[in-house]
Amino acid sequence: MSYNFKKDIKPIWCPGCGLHIIYRAMIKTFKNFGWTNKDVAVISGIGCTGRGAGYFNLDTAHTTHGRSLCVAEGLKLGNPDLNVVVLSGDGDLFGIGGNHLLHVARRNTNITVICNSNKIYGMTGGQMSPETPKGAVTATTPKGAPYNPIHSQKIVTANDDYFYGRASITDMKQMQEILTEAINWQGFSFVNVQSICPTNYGRRAGFKNASEMMQVLDERITKQTNPEILEENQLGFVHS
Amino acid sequence: MIQSGNQAILHGALEAGANYLSAYPITPSSDIIAEYVKQTAGDDQYDFLQTEDEIAAIHSAIGASLAGRKSFTPTSGPGFSLMQEGLGLGFAYHIPLVLINVQRQGPSTGMPTLFSQDTLLQTQYGTHGDHMALTFYPNSVQECFDVTISAFNAACESSSPVMLLSDAYLARMHENVKFANQQLIAQFPFERFGNGTRHFTGLTNDNGRPDTKNPETFKKWMKYLTGSIIETAKKYELYDYLPNSASETLIISFGSISRAINQWKNEFALFRPVRIFPLLKQQLAEVEQEYKNIVVVEGNYGQYRDVVAAALHREIKSVPVVGGEINPEEIYQQIKQAIN
Repeated sequence: MSYNFKKDIKPIWCPGCGLHIIYRAMIKTFKNFGWTNKDVAVISGIGCTGRGAGYFNLDTAHTTHGRSLCVAEGLKLGNPDLNVVVLSGDGDLFGIGGNHLLHVARRNTNITVICNSNKIYGMTGGQMSPETPKGAVTATTPKGAPYNPIHSQKIVTANDDYFYGRASITDMKQMQEILTEAINWQGFSFVNVQSICPTNYGRRAGFKNASEMMQVLDERITKQTNPEILEENQLGFVHS
Repeated sequence: MIQSGNQAILHGALEAGANYLSAYPITPSSDIIAEYVKQTAGDDQYDFLQTEDEIAAIHSAIGASLAGRKSFTPTSGPGFSLMQEGLGLGFAYHIPLVLINVQRQGPSTGMPTLFSQDTLLQTQYGTHGDHMALTFYPNSVQECFDVTISAFNAACESSSPVMLLSDAYLARMHENVKFANQQLIAQFPFERFGNGTRHFTGLTNDNGRPDTKNPETFKKWMKYLTGSIIETAKKYELYDYLPNSASETLIISFGSISRAINQWKNEFALFRPVRIFPLLKQQLAEVEQEYKNIVVVEGNYGQYRDVVAAALHREIKSVPVVGGEINPEEIYQQIKQAIN
């Protein structure tokens, strides 16, 4: 079956947005699992990423801001046979939904969470988000973001049971491998995908276009060398 | 058997087929959670999730409803405020769910163990969005059981969240009750998640397709969301009316207060709505002309009085019973003052 786009629902994502690549990687991963619409459901929060759930030709739910994990947890407990995948942004998951992340991860609910880490509130016009790097110019931080970004890896891996992966839109093949590992993990799994928002982050930060943003992203990251350790600039995964 | 109001609500829920409870503890609703855990222990067709807060509790119940489970969540006071966001989503999704609000005296932490009826209008206008909400309010332990079954049935029939109000006194009141159901149990209204290509969204939509700039789509959507609530409400015109041709005064009351009012049935006519929203406008309109005075005795500063006055286009007196105490002598004096 095709997971691509529901009839009549058109994507709102800008050209160059990292979400196109994450979406493609998710579809390829679902295909490799051989899933039908009886096997998987996608849940999302609010914002550009939040629109993502509706683009999969599956049963999907676009929830309220920050509450995607709560709805996903209720759905998973209500129907344990279903693979429940959450797609949401860093503002949604670490900001308004931060408390739910702490507890759904701690309860080790068997769902997979994919974070589009574009480090900005994109849809609302480019305001600083929990993962905005210190010093970054955004709509709400014209003199540069004053705070250090949140360490989602430390939050998730603080639990006794965990799976934490970091992928990047600059390496779709590896993203698929990490998503596959995350979905196979029996328990709560979290994949933070390094992504870009050319429209509402890139413009203010002085990038000329999306490909330049991807190039800079690609230079910043490297592959994991020790399977036991995942450094902040590395792509790969660690688990309990 | 002798049971409390909260126990009867839980047994009514189980009788109606409820099999998913997500909740955050808050007085005086908490013993509904404890009773659920006790009654369903060891039976894997029931699930329970104690969440990190009330926001998670209602959203978890929404997720379970998508999975085809009859879900519910009990709360009180500030917990009801935190649930308003999820309630709006529940209405937008057009899915069944029962929210039990055991009222306590607010605002804020207020008087957590004491009686109140201060969330009446919050059931209608607490969440963003302009819609109505089916709301029931029993006044005895037996009615807690019976009306809870009606609330779950109405949630499935209207495919919408339904609110069941109680209060701190009714919650802990112990009475003789028969857990014998007389009602047909409604079927869950849609096929559970994991078999289709449906999209549930809080955005204005046409059958799942977001359409956020079109006034006509919005109107069509609202008609779809509220139409089933209006239709279902017709099936649940639940109230008590004790006419009194010797009296010029009709007293309207509900919940715990109506128990105190009942002792004056020889002196006044009494009207007790059980489905308190949407307002039983027609039923009130049919009797109101027979009485010179109409007094609403309620556990707030006149919320229901305002609703009744607006619907009947006449002066309605208010007797507020606030501060967590129901003092019959004081109420009687205030009624006398109001009608003189």
